[in-house]
Amino acid sequence: MQEEIFVTGAGIVSAIGMNKQENLAALKAKRGGIAPIRYLQTSRAFPVGEVKASNEEMCHALRVPATAITTRSSLMGMIAAREALEQAALHGRNARVALISGTTVGGMDKSEQYYIDFLENDTRNEYIAAHDCGACTEMIADYFGLFSLVETLSTACSSAANAILLGAALLRDGRVDAVVAGGCECITKFHLNGFNTLMILDKEPCKPFDARRAGLTLGEGAAYLVLETGTAARQRGAIPLCRLSGHANSSDAFHQTASSPDGQGAFLSMTRALNAAGLSPTEIDYINAHGTGTINNDASEGMAIQRVFGEKIPPVSSTKSFTGHTTSAAGGVEAVISILALQENFIPANLHFTTPMPELAFVPSTGREGVASRHVLSNSFGFGGNNTSLVFSKL
Amino acid sequence: MTKEVYIRAACQISTQHPLGEVWMDSPVHYNEPYARAIDPDYKQFLEPNVARRLGKILKRALLTSRQVREESGIACPDAIITGTGLGCIENTGIFLEALTREGEAFLKPTYFMQSTHNTISSLVAIDARCHGYNATYAHKGVSFECALLDAFLQVKKGEANTVLVGAHDEMTPDYFLLLKRAGYLGHAPGGFSGETAMSMMLNNREEDAACRLDGVEIAYRPGREELQDLLARLCPLDEIDAVMIGTNGNPANDKLYAEVCPELFPGKQLLRYKHLFGESYTAPGLGAYAASILLRQQRVPAHLFANTREKEVTRALKRVLLYNHFEGKNHSLILLSACGK
Repeated sequence: MQEEIFVTGAGIVSAIGMNKQENLAALKAKRGGIAPIRYLQTSRAFPVGEVKASNEEMCHALRVPATAITTRSSLMGMIAAREALEQAALHGRNARVALISGTTVGGMDKSEQYYIDFLENDTRNEYIAAHDCGACTEMIADYFGLFSLVETLSTACSSAANAILLGAALLRDGRVDAVVAGGCECITKFHLNGFNTLMILDKEPCKPFDARRAGLTLGEGAAYLVLETGTAARQRGAIPLCRLSGHANSSDAFHQTASSPDGQGAFLSMTRALNAAGLSPTEIDYINAHGTGTINNDASEGMAIQRVFGEKIPPVSSTKSFTGHTTSAAGGVEAVISILALQENFIPANLHFTTPMPELAFVPSTGREGVASRHVLSNSFGFGGNNTSLVFSKL
Repeated sequence: MTKEVYIRAACQISTQHPLGEVWMDSPVHYNEPYARAIDPDYKQFLEPNVARRLGKILKRALLTSRQVREESGIACPDAIITGTGLGCIENTGIFLEALTREGEAFLKPTYFMQSTHNTISSLVAIDARCHGYNATYAHKGVSFECALLDAFLQVKKGEANTVLVGAHDEMTPDYFLLLKRAGYLGHAPGGFSGETAMSMMLNNREEDAACRLDGVEIAYRPGREELQDLLARLCPLDEIDAVMIGTNGNPANDKLYAEVCPELFPGKQLLRYKHLFGESYTAPGLGAYAASILLRQQRVPAHLFANTREKEVTRALKRVLLYNHFEGKNHSLILLSACGK
């Protein structure tokens, strides 16, 4: 029997709020955070799910000097990790605590401002070492100064979910006493334009699982969970929010930027996560789908959901319709949203839905309160067919 | 029940002659601060359409992966895990430079599509048609060790029987210039910036193994006492026959080894590998590869001794410890043991 993994803290920053309370209020009120671009300096005019704070405002909230070397991703990460650590009341004295964070763009927000300086002069050298993914995680680690193991996952849009997987493995091996796992990612011109060249950005706010869907909406954010073994959490009297009851990753092994039509990778990650949790599909009360709103993802994921759940498909929604696609942070952001849904007994809405997809037998949930959820499943799929599913269960 | 973990096969493309162990007896020497890997003739190994559309890092990763899959007879491993400090930095740099110099209007999708870090692991999975676990670690100088730790735990716990682990970093002239400005590369007489492409197959069977992988430890900003504790977790000090360290010719980097090694590994013979392969974020992957070759062949060429006065090992090579640090912040220990010993 595997050691149980408890979630003892959670923190989130997204387009719909700077903490769990604000995110929860927006989800329940069906108030999305997708809006015209306000913070990113770009000539593009797509709607986006920006975090509603400038870097200066985040520095102020964190008491970080505005002159410190930071990136937008790391600032969001610090705020979310702080909330998670405070809830877990984990101070790290005499405890071995790991920080496992997922990111792909890392410090790209600075690199795309200063790349010519990097190449041609010595005026912005301090941001060169801040470019890579690991630098982003270390900025967060150094803000708290309590982590003895620091690692960075980079599997595109499943990065944060895979950080949670690794966290569970490290705990079960007894290497650390607690793990802060999740991810952070800001919107950059680099990937906004990258997705634009692939022609997968919707000109309107994204419409996941809708026949009229025309692509994704980029979002940004950060979210972290504090994970501990059941034994460790009980020993120090931590109040668990829920259990991470199952998790799995699989590879679609189909294409670098497209999902297979039958959703094989997604089918495998959901099936394996359910097996790991010892649950049958009928026991899942809510699926927080990857649901990007692209033609390809929603067809592939929808097909995989039908293959796993058959005739009895639980309520499904993509909360990217609130937050936009927070890419590497998505697995963390949606894990926290799934946990809120579990704790508060509600099904978050799939906003902007009007028209069923003809190829699917189900439609996404438009939101419901007063449901009795026991188990929720959260999907995060990355470029290159990297598929991760997490199952959270009430204690 | 936990299982023993073995390195079944390992293969490299680096600044040394590719796809073999020529470096053992005929190493290539570098005097300039920056060197690219010696690429094999990919036409001999890869389909022309594949070779044409892939960047250097992807070609190297694909070929080294195919070689170890073939050598180990494990066509489709249960898991594929890659460490890369910078990912596909050539394509990233091209897209970034176009974006910053020419603006947002004229960008093309090709370079973006092959710019994310997990492009490497995904390519290998697509090539091998593997639907198992797939992950990529990108954490500066411990990227490879993070990947190795994940793989080690999966085999040890029986979650995977076979894992393909990669260490891949390319270094473009532009990015070398950047990292030189940042103080990481290109500052030392005698040391140089290299490139890493290393794939190894881990499994749980001693048969035909190059060596056994006994443990991986990674620490962030540890004190000396913490390092001592990590070392003690791995094995008693007197069982270690040699320590392979990450000195690279850069005084800022090598100073810490000079301080730490006498304290942590008193009296141990020290080996090196970055004089062959240069420095890169995933260079420890080449260190682990080199140590696995020494353990398999049971010999140590003279050029590998960190103390150049030493010519041969004073003890039979049963256990080799790898110790690397990155800018004094990230520290790693990897313990390898000879099989049948």
